[in-house]
Amino acid sequence: MHLGTPWGLEVILYLFLAGMGAGTITASASMLLRGGGGDGQYFSIARYGALVGPFPVVIGTVLLIFELGRPFRALNLYKVINLSPMSLGSWFLAFFIVISILYALLFLPWPNWHGERMSSWRRRIAWICVPSGLSVAIYTGVLLGAMPARPFWNSPIIAMLFMISAISTGMALIIFTRALFYKVHLDVPTEERSWHGSGYVLAATDVLLIGFELLVLFLLLMFAHLTVGSVKYAVEIILPGGELAVLFWGGVVLLGLVIPGVIEMFFVAPKLLYGGHYTAPRSIDIVVPLAVMVGGYLLRYVIVMAGQLTGPVGL
Amino acid sequence: MKEQDKMPDDRRGFVMALGGAIATAFAAIGSMLLPGSAAASLTDDEDEHDSEEAVVEVQYGMVIDVRRCIGCHACTVACKSEFDVPPGVNRSWVEYTEKGQYPNVGRSFLPRLCNHCSEPLCVDVCPTNATYRRDQDGIIAVDHGVCIACKYCMHACPYDARFLDPVNEWVDKCDFCIHRVSKGLAPSCVNTCVGGARIFGNLADPDSAVSKLIARHRVSVLRSEMGTFPNVYYIDADFTDEVDRRRPELREVRVITHRRHKERT
Ligand code: SF4
Ligand code: SF4
Repeated sequence: MHLGTPWGLEVILYLFLAGMGAGTITASASMLLRGGGGDGQYFSIARYGALVGPFPVVIGTVLLIFELGRPFRALNLYKVINLSPMSLGSWFLAFFIVISILYALLFLPWPNWHGERMSSWRRRIAWICVPSGLSVAIYTGVLLGAMPARPFWNSPIIAMLFMISAISTGMALIIFTRALFYKVHLDVPTEERSWHGSGYVLAATDVLLIGFELLVLFLLLMFAHLTVGSVKYAVEIILPGGELAVLFWGGVVLLGLVIPGVIEMFFVAPKLLYGGHYTAPRSIDIVVPLAVMVGGYLLRYVIVMAGQLTGPVGL
Repeated sequence: MKEQDKMPDDRRGFVMALGGAIATAFAAIGSMLLPGSAAASLTDDEDEHDSEEAVVEVQYGMVIDVRRCIGCHACTVACKSEFDVPPGVNRSWVEYTEKGQYPNVGRSFLPRLCNHCSEPLCVDVCPTNATYRRDQDGIIAVDHGVCIACKYCMHACPYDARFLDPVNEWVDKCDFCIHRVSKGLAPSCVNTCVGGARIFGNLADPDSAVSKLIARHRVSVLRSEMGTFPNVYYIDADFTDEVDRRRPELREVRVITHRRHKERT
């Protein structure tokens, strides 16, 4: 899929899917460890994350390998290791794929899967999942940020942005999967409390991440706009009047962050502020995460394209 | 029930778990990057540093005397036929810059090629070591058998010197005609240049033609602010770019790159 730039839709999709998968596994493992690794509502959240997380990463990686034209050449990446962010990233990615699949397997209903031995393995693997998931989530941003020849990307904050977006879209994927597959009898009080209890954890975390992401975007825009030279010209592409402005402000900021953030805040606020009750209808748990995921994809699209369409000014 | 009692501080708990996790991740990454660690010693980085500090005996470079260029594209064509470069892409090319308003106008030419930088970003980002610096002569080359066409180097190069070979699907660029210069011949573009605008030689030898020209003229390199230390020098190059349209004294600036993508990036 050629967009007339060196990196096309496959790469953009990969950056999004790998980030989201890594974020899902990271969130799932953190939830599992937060809950002490045993059963309970943290376990059920962790389980959704563990079971869906590997899919986006593997799909994204396959897309990327085929983008190379001759897929088997990708093996050359594993004949050396050097300090190129792409080299380190591919090793992180390979390790992460193995560890995330292992993690997912531990959540399948094996005989005796609630036993102490299985839970202790889940805990151990979760401890590895968190740093390796974060390294995959963050390397994609480091990869873009490494080059002064691409002024739009050449900032440490892109890596931060991609990492937060990865965890936020990962949370969204967990909420989405849970809303689709969780069988709950809302007329049974204990089940109802547990359903809304874990729903609150997820929504509250997501609101927090969305807030952080907006903050990072603000810093990125503000510093780019306040400087002079290449970075200032480059950022014009997403400022009002720029080629990618509509997609950025409409898709990334409004659809992907502000609207989901406001809706989730609406449901989270009563419990957060004065200990009220959290009750969100299932439809909200389907629509809001979808918007977050679309916004996450558009963020990768806008950033990757903006970096490729702009360059240093002068000769 | 036990789980639900914990609910009020859930959010903080998650954030704290995340914070710990981030610290762990950084520790892991940090230990991989420390020089002398297992990861770093897998590469031959250390050897490279040793040889960089040693006295450089041969560093090939080029001087382009823009005063002598007539914009005839003979070098472009010679390069195309030397390497059978596919249509639409170039290892070497000539740009035109037109500026000013009639009757005060000017036009200048700018022959372009890979700068064979001393701090090549393309080498730094290549994940497979397919792009490398030849210790014996400082030429930056691409090993086509190793290149995976990830195109990372195309982004890293500030001079747009690299392209994806549409036929072979590997990344390619000027290599100073290694096959010719290693036999003592001049690169094909230098050999063919009608005005004698392209001069090739060993920058490490103070008596070479290129070193003498550099010593005696006001020379410049492209985008020196990128910190790449190019080894292609220009005499009397016009650095006017499209961004200079904003200058009231020029107003009209037209850059013709003669490449498939029309604008400089
Ligand atoms: S001009 Fe570009 S391709 Fe050539 S050595 Fe410098 S950075 Fe690399
Ligand atoms: S495209 Fe080839 S030469 Fe360029 S960075 Fe990738 S592997 Fe290296």
